Order: sequence, then C-alpha cells, then structure tokens
Amino acid sequence: MNLKKMNKGLDFLRGKYGAAKGQITVKDGHCFVGSTPLLPGRMERKIVELKKMTENGTLEGVSTLRFAAFAPKGVDMEAMLAKELDLAAYLGASDIVRVMAVASGNAINVLAKLANDVNVSVEIGAGLPKGAEPYDRHEIIAKRGVACDQTVDTHTKHESIRCWGAEGMAEYTDVDTELFGLSYDEIWNVRAAFALLQKRADAKVWKAAWAKATKAAKLAFAADKSKAAKTIAVKKGLDTNQSIKVAEVR
Amino acid sequence: MKPVKIAMMGMTHGHTRKYYQTLLDNQKLDWVASCAQDADAKKTYELYKTGVPCYLDPEEMYKKHPDIEAVVIASANDRHFEQMKWCAEKGIHILSMKIPTFDMKEYDEMIAMCDKAGIVCQIELEMHYNSVVRRLEKLVKEGAIGKIKSVQATNITLSPVWAFPWQGDPKSSFGSVVPLKAGDPRFRGGALCDHPHIFDLIRHLTGSSFDYIYAEVAPNLRDGLKVEDMLMAVGKMKDGTAFLFDPSWSRLEEKLKVPGPGWERFPKRMEVNVTITGDKGMITCDCFGPNVYHNGAPNDRYTVQYTYFDEWIGLIDEFVDCIRNHKTPLINLKWHKETIQSMLGCYESIKSGKIAKVGK
Repeated sequence: MNLKKMNKGLDFLRGKYGAAKGQITVKDGHCFVGSTPLLPGRMERKIVELKKMTENGTLEGVSTLRFAAFAPKGVDMEAMLAKELDLAAYLGASDIVRVMAVASGNAINVLAKLANDVNVSVEIGAGLPKGAEPYDRHEIIAKRGVACDQTVDTHTKHESIRCWGAEGMAEYTDVDTELFGLSYDEIWNVRAAFALLQKRADAKVWKAAWAKATKAAKLAFAADKSKAAKTIAVKKGLDTNQSIKVAEVR
Repeated sequence: MKPVKIAMMGMTHGHTRKYYQTLLDNQKLDWVASCAQDADAKKTYELYKTGVPCYLDPEEMYKKHPDIEAVVIASANDRHFEQMKWCAEKGIHILSMKIPTFDMKEYDEMIAMCDKAGIVCQIELEMHYNSVVRRLEKLVKEGAIGKIKSVQATNITLSPVWAFPWQGDPKSSFGSVVPLKAGDPRFRGGALCDHPHIFDLIRHLTGSSFDYIYAEVAPNLRDGLKVEDMLMAVGKMKDGTAFLFDPSWSRLEEKLKVPGPGWERFPKRMEVNVTITGDKGMITCDCFGPNVYHNGAPNDRYTVQYTYFDEWIGLIDEFVDCIRNHKTPLINLKWHKETIQSMLGCYESIKSGKIAKVGK
C-alpha cells in the first residue's frame, strides 16, 4: 500500500465533502486513523450491498455464512482470518461465540458460531503465487434467498476488463472513480478512514469490533492446536455490527 | 468556492432519482428547488424525501429562488427545447439529459441560444465518469492493443416505459411522430433514443467520426409498444474502424410504476459491454461488473445487484467546474451533435434499408 497516495486521496475527499482532519498510518500491516483500526472490508461496495440485503428484507432468516479468502504466500493468515471473522459478525449481525479450526501448512479451515446461532465457515489460504491478486468470496444463505459476491455459476473472480496485448493478458477492475489509480485495498482503507473522519463510522465501535475479530482469529489458531473449539463470552453493551451510512444506489 | 445554487426540472426522466444523493452530498452545490412536470411526478419525487421543495410551475420556483444558477433538466425529450430556452433567457446553466433533441433545426437553435446567453450546457453522458470506462480509455490511449480495428458494444437494458411512459410515446421521446418504415406499425422513439452512450464512446475511443451506418429493427419483445425495442446497427468510422452496436431494450422487466427492487426479470438490468479488436491485441470490458448476486425478495429469482453508481458524482463535479471556472464540458452541445446524427442515421437506414451517411 502506498500511504502517500492514500492520504492524498483522503485529503481530496475531506476537502470535497468535509470531514475532520486525520491521516492514515500503518502498524503491523494494518491501517489506522489515530488509535482506531480501520475496517476497510465493511466499506467495500460488495459488502455494503450484502449488508443491505440482510437488513432490507431481500434476505430473510439468515442461516449460514460461507466465506473464503486467498492471498499470496507470506501474507499473515491470522490477519486475513480476523478480517473475515469481522465480516461474519457484521453481515450476520451477531458476535462470534465459538470457533473451531483445522490448519495445514498455508491454509486453515474455520467453523465458527455466532451468538444468534448462525454458522460461519471460512476458508483461508496463503498459497497464491507472489504478486497474485487476492481472491475472496462471501456467501449468505438464508431461509429466503442466497446472496454472493462472486458469480454463482463460476465462483471465479469477475474482472471488468481483460486486455490481451503484446505482453500477454492483463485484468483490471476499477471500483471508485474519485480514487481512480489506487489499488482495491488502498481504496477501501481510504473510504474507511473517510467514514471515520466524517463520523459515519464510530471509532469506539471499530476498536471494539476489531478487538473481537483479532481475538477470535487468535483463538481459531489455538483451537487447531488443541483440537477443541474455543468459546468466546459475549460482552453486553455496544453493538459492533451496526451498518454504516453509505450512498444508496438503487 | 461558492456553492452553485442548483435546481431540477421535469422530474420525469429515468435518471432523475440518480442525482439526488450527489446533489445533496456535494458541498460545491446547494440544491435549492425542484420543479415537477405534473402532480404525478411530484408525488414520485416526494417518495424519496430529499427535503428539497418541489414546485409545479417553473416561474413560481424562480420567483421563490431567483438565485438559481444551474438546472438539471430531467424531463421528456420533447420538453427539452422549451426548458433550455427558459434557462437560457435567465442565464441559467444547463445540465441536459442525454438527448437534447432529435430535431436538428431545434438542435442548432439550442447551440445558438446557449452561446448567446454565455451559459454552460453539459449533456449527461455519465459513462465517461464510470471507473471502468476510464480504465478502458486509458488502455486504448496508451496503445495497449494498438490501432483500433473494430468495436462491438452493447447498451442493453430493461425498458423503462412502465415507470416513465413518455419513453414509449413517439412524440415525447423522438419529438415527432415518424413511422419506422413502410408497412411497420411502430414509430421512432424507443430503445435507440434511450441509448446514445456507445455512439458517443466510439468517437472518444477512436478519435474519429462516423462515416456510415446500417441498422435493422427486430420484432418487439413487448406487445403493444408503439416504438422499437429491439434493433442493431453496423457501420464504419472515417478511420476505417468497423463497429457493431446493440442499443436494445432486450432485458425484460416487471411493469413497475416506480423503479425499485424486483424491477428486472432478466437478472441484470443494464449492460454496457465493449469488445475492441486492435492490430496488437484486444479488450473485453463489462462496464457494470463485478457485482453481487442474490435470489431473495421480492421475486426470489436470480438478480444482479449493482455495486457501481458513482458516475453521477464525476458528472456533477465536471458541471460545477465548468460553471465556476468557465470551461467547456467534454460532452457539450456541439460535440454531441454528431452522436445524435449517428442515431438519426440508424433511423434513416431502418427506413431506407440502405446505409446512411452520418451527418448528411
């Protein structure tokens, strides 16, 4: 990630729409504004649309979440898992209360339970070649309707553009005109920082949500070692899975 | 920078609702008023709860808001001339919907009156502010596939006629009642009039002009429609680029009065797909993908839910920039004239069964 470009993008959005001052920093590979960890996954348009579907009646009676995330070799699987578990709690609208996992080399398969009894499966793999684009998939299975952010009949990543040129084939997916030129991860981190600085996202909520997600991810690896599911006590109080105000597209 | 005081007029165009978020969010704008064509349009507008007052009489709106600097004309095509005239007489800048008019005499008068008034008149071709199109234009410009030889493009959608009936009315949509061809009961004014984007895009991609065009209408998918809903066109640009365009309403829809979830019967409401063959490679492009997919409410069938709709942000940004900094919009009346002529060429070809030279 190019912090300089990201902060330039953030300054552009702040100047255009108005927001408090602030800058993105990186600590241990994760982006922060001040002491607040960013949750860029919650800002991705596809996640925003999935969240809306769980709230606006498109999906009724969520039963199971099936998630997957794959990244190049060397990427921290615990951090990947924390992101996916945070999205599980967010889309499932309930905290994680139990995790079981089985790891093998650069992969870990996780079966988790939300407080509202929803099941969550997460496949994590860090075995893609260096430089490869990450892949993820989020499927929500409900009594009424299934929703997914990958095309249903292929489960391969859909790219907006394929270009066969002299150098071979290249693929492009651009998702944000105002931040054109930033990478996918950079864009959602900037959008997350902007949401925080605009107070659309609550710093307290994100701190608590990320603490829960990283704890659950750590326990998943511990569950693999002990071959026993780990239980997490639900804390009463702050709802860390509430949706963030975003632009309406329909 | 002082925010531009902006209003909307008509409120009967299919794109009307797409402006609301941007007009409210953009700090360079102060959305002060709206003026609906009729009580029905006002009623629909009020469903969106923008908090911006809506009038039925433009003069009343102007009397209450004499500081209006710009107007988004969001009305039926046959109302554009009078509304542009109204704006030009008051020195109000104009953001016009994608078809200013198909009447070329009127079109030239529009150019003249905007020039005389010294106002900005931008045409709404929002695809230019789509991030995928931006990448496509960049790749072509950088020579990723060499010299363009051929362009195939679709601008296919569901038909908006049930929610916006003027789009199925020949007079309101085309501007006059003109039969498609001898022996055909249909009239000009359908899908073609809804889909100028690809006719514009090829001009930007190639940097060339239209030479000739040949078009055919197919049997309609929708019974009782007075205008065409299925057609295709082939032709050549002056630089030799061959093209094949599909601007149809080929995706069926539910007959909703107000667009909303469940409008689509085919899973994807709108597709702008472009394939370009160059002398050094080729590109395929889906301007509205990837997305998310579901089979939930209201109809429990496979549906593509879009994740992209930020075109309106860039479009409005450009409009404001042109007003405040005295610039000419990329899609201005003079530039857009050839795009309209190429669409008229399609209708001429359908009528004659022969190629039509564009602009002749």
